[in-house]
Amino acid sequence: MVHLGAMQKIKPPQRIFRDDEEVDYVIVGVGSAGGVLLQRLARAGFKVLGMEAGKFWDTERDWVSDEAGSHQLYWNDLRITGGEHPLALGSNNSGKGVGGGSVHWAAFTPRFHPSDFEVYTRDGVGADWPLSYEELEPYYELLEQEIPVAGPAWYPWGKPHGHPYAPHPMGGVGDVLIKGCTKLGIPVSAGGPVAILSASRGNRPHCIYRGFCIQACKVGAKASTLITHVPDALEHGAEVRDRSMVARISMRPDGRTDGVVYIDRDGRERFQRARAVIVSGYAIETPRLLLNSACPGHEHGLANSSGTLGKYLMAQAGNVVLGRFDELIRMYKAPPAHALTEEFYETDPKRDFARGFAIQTVGPLPIAFSKQMMAAKGLWGWSMRREMMEYNHWAALGLLGEILPWADNRVELAAERDQYGLRVAKVTFRLRDNDKKLIEFGKNKVMEVMHAAGAVEVVQESRYAHLVGAARMGKDPSTSVCDKFGRTWDIPNLFVMDGSVMPTQGSANPGLTIQALAARTADYLITQGDAIFNSASRDMTPPPVCRSLSPPDTFTSGAPHLR
Amino acid sequence: MTSDFLYRLDTSPRALVKLLPQVVRPPADVALQHIQSGTFQRSMSLLVMGTSAVSGLEVAYEHYRGSYSNPIMYTPVILSGVLSIAGAAAFFSRRMARTFLRYTSFLTVVDGLIGFGFHIRGVQRKPGGWRLPITNIVMGPPIFAPLLFGTSAYLGILASYLQREEDFGQQKIKLESAGNGLHKTDWREDIRTGRFQKHLCVVTAVGTLCSGGEAFYSHYKDNFKYRVQWSPLIVTPLLAGAALGAFASETCANTLLPLAAGAAILNGVAGTFYHVRGILSRPGGKKKPLYNTLYGPPIFAPLLFSAAGMLGMLAYLMRRERR
Repeated sequence: MVHLGAMQKIKPPQRIFRDDEEVDYVIVGVGSAGGVLLQRLARAGFKVLGMEAGKFWDTERDWVSDEAGSHQLYWNDLRITGGEHPLALGSNNSGKGVGGGSVHWAAFTPRFHPSDFEVYTRDGVGADWPLSYEELEPYYELLEQEIPVAGPAWYPWGKPHGHPYAPHPMGGVGDVLIKGCTKLGIPVSAGGPVAILSASRGNRPHCIYRGFCIQACKVGAKASTLITHVPDALEHGAEVRDRSMVARISMRPDGRTDGVVYIDRDGRERFQRARAVIVSGYAIETPRLLLNSACPGHEHGLANSSGTLGKYLMAQAGNVVLGRFDELIRMYKAPPAHALTEEFYETDPKRDFARGFAIQTVGPLPIAFSKQMMAAKGLWGWSMRREMMEYNHWAALGLLGEILPWADNRVELAAERDQYGLRVAKVTFRLRDNDKKLIEFGKNKVMEVMHAAGAVEVVQESRYAHLVGAARMGKDPSTSVCDKFGRTWDIPNLFVMDGSVMPTQGSANPGLTIQALAARTADYLITQGDAIFNSASRDMTPPPVCRSLSPPDTFTSGAPHLR
Repeated sequence: MTSDFLYRLDTSPRALVKLLPQVVRPPADVALQHIQSGTFQRSMSLLVMGTSAVSGLEVAYEHYRGSYSNPIMYTPVILSGVLSIAGAAAFFSRRMARTFLRYTSFLTVVDGLIGFGFHIRGVQRKPGGWRLPITNIVMGPPIFAPLLFGTSAYLGILASYLQREEDFGQQKIKLESAGNGLHKTDWREDIRTGRFQKHLCVVTAVGTLCSGGEAFYSHYKDNFKYRVQWSPLIVTPLLAGAALGAFASETCANTLLPLAAGAAILNGVAGTFYHVRGILSRPGGKKKPLYNTLYGPPIFAPLLFSAAGMLGMLAYLMRRERR
């Protein structure tokens, strides 16, 4: 029996496909997108296999409520980072193991705004999405109900909507954000939107506010696809093959893929036949796998005839502003994610940059806090120790600022190889003028809020959060990797579906949007049926929204809210 | 001398009403007569309408906080709305009082009992369950709340058996015939004639203990940060004790009971003031009114404590059962 949270247990001896048995879909990476795809396709009756490089977690045995002990949740294999503003890789912007990054996300789940889907049209920067907000909206609603999302019943930003679960009570940091914002007349959302249960549902207990969200929630209150979608997928005949690293996607001479070559848990190279392949490895591993799969006819990597594969990688500005208060804050209590404002989200003609940012609560635990103190104040040694004793008096607010997609912010292959002998990813990143102005303005605004809340000392650390892009979707095969359903332009039975398909990123955390896009693609695949496996024709009609494929308990609970 | 004076001091409602100033004496006298003859169905129905609306609001937002994670959590919200309507209908129609109000009230009491079961189960489902009773009662679903929710339904049941105001002096019920063996008096007969003091005393004691229990663990959850948070816990044993004492002794019913009940009512009113102040002093204050009401001190809870006091006061005004 494998524990999934405090109350849920599943029996892992699941269906196991033989290597020579042709499955319908192989999904590479069982994370936010992969978990949802796996569940949908399994329910629809497809033979579906999820390959996951990390392990299938037993939450009681593998996870610890300890900051230092949670590093195995990240992708710690070798990666090379560089450029003028190099990104820190291998921690909160990566994931390994079933559930992927959703295991350790803070679970903020704001939707993107309608404007995010037409950034180029509105502001002349970035790119437009090949789909509109309205096309994705029903999937936002559906996933918010499935996960489910806790938050106010009326949420004013973007397209106003509400949330199916009640907002959470405030922790000390949320109180700081609310005090600061209300003092400055800035509207603020209390208690969500966050994919953490504010009341129990089925075999998942509600949040107990112990604060170890991003160390993986042992309680099972925080949603991850490991506990929300994967159990249902297994029940409906899917297989999750964990500790299996896909090395390359195999191509047939006729330009279609016929499966994946992977390295199993014992280090043997094996081949799994499949009628179609979906790559859900997130913004670094997805382009890396496609690049590593280069073969005759696809010398620059699979699905790269446009030359855009690996390009337009985006991170969000994630500056952390820390404020010291005379009174106790105790920011380790309550989920890090529990209040935010999107008042500065949209382009404001009064400012000298396009797009905007959000301000969110952050609740670093002591190790993260000490790193921030080191970066923000240059503390070391005894001065660090003294500041650490003040930990309970500090509050941390995060900027979440939109950085635009630029072609030379990209993922390439480095010369170095990892433990499987595969070339590792090299990530290059540089900020442009618009990004720098946005960060400067946003950072100052967060500091203003912190001061307004009564902080006696305010410092900040520059950092980045989230990674999306690098295999973007688009309307034009010459400037994008895949179409609006994630189907690659070059190979009719190869799909990309995860954060890497996003053309722009808004200043919303990407998790919910990734899952919504995955559910939509699943509906598309189900509607298309065998055409995916046999035909090269591309049907671009949006699929009808399928509500009958949701996990159990989806529609039996939830409070009244604005739809 | 003093003891003799005290002994002769009559504090029964009938005696006290005579001490009222001339201006207010006649209406108070009429009200008391109606109460003591059990002819106050209309007024009681209005009371049911009001209390049910309040407890409906409270359960609506408390269950909203629980995200209506179980569909059964909608039932008390719906039932209290229906009960409120039933109270209004009973004000206008005798038939409605005897049918609609009565059945809705019984249904609501049953719902309260079922809710009590669910709340017990909720505590049990928390990590550690009943092996960690203190933590899980404090942090789990409010265990006595469903029983207190039944208070207005209980009043509804009482109302449905009362006589109407216009029946006063009609002598529709001839209790004198009761003794002749042809007609057996039961509790309904007592209610109809305003003779249910002892019965009401028991209910008052139970309600007070439940409400005081709620106050205890809620204020405990707040670490008794303010000294005034102890006050309902001081009044609780006084009122519960007085109510039980009044069950046994008429003297107690005429002395301690009204004092304790009055204290509970005042305590609830003061508590409401403090709770409102608590809500306003939360971060964001009145700029986040709904959120702060949701997570601030429960705005209606002190009124539930007042309601227990009100039951006690009503008991004081009633006549005692014959047996």
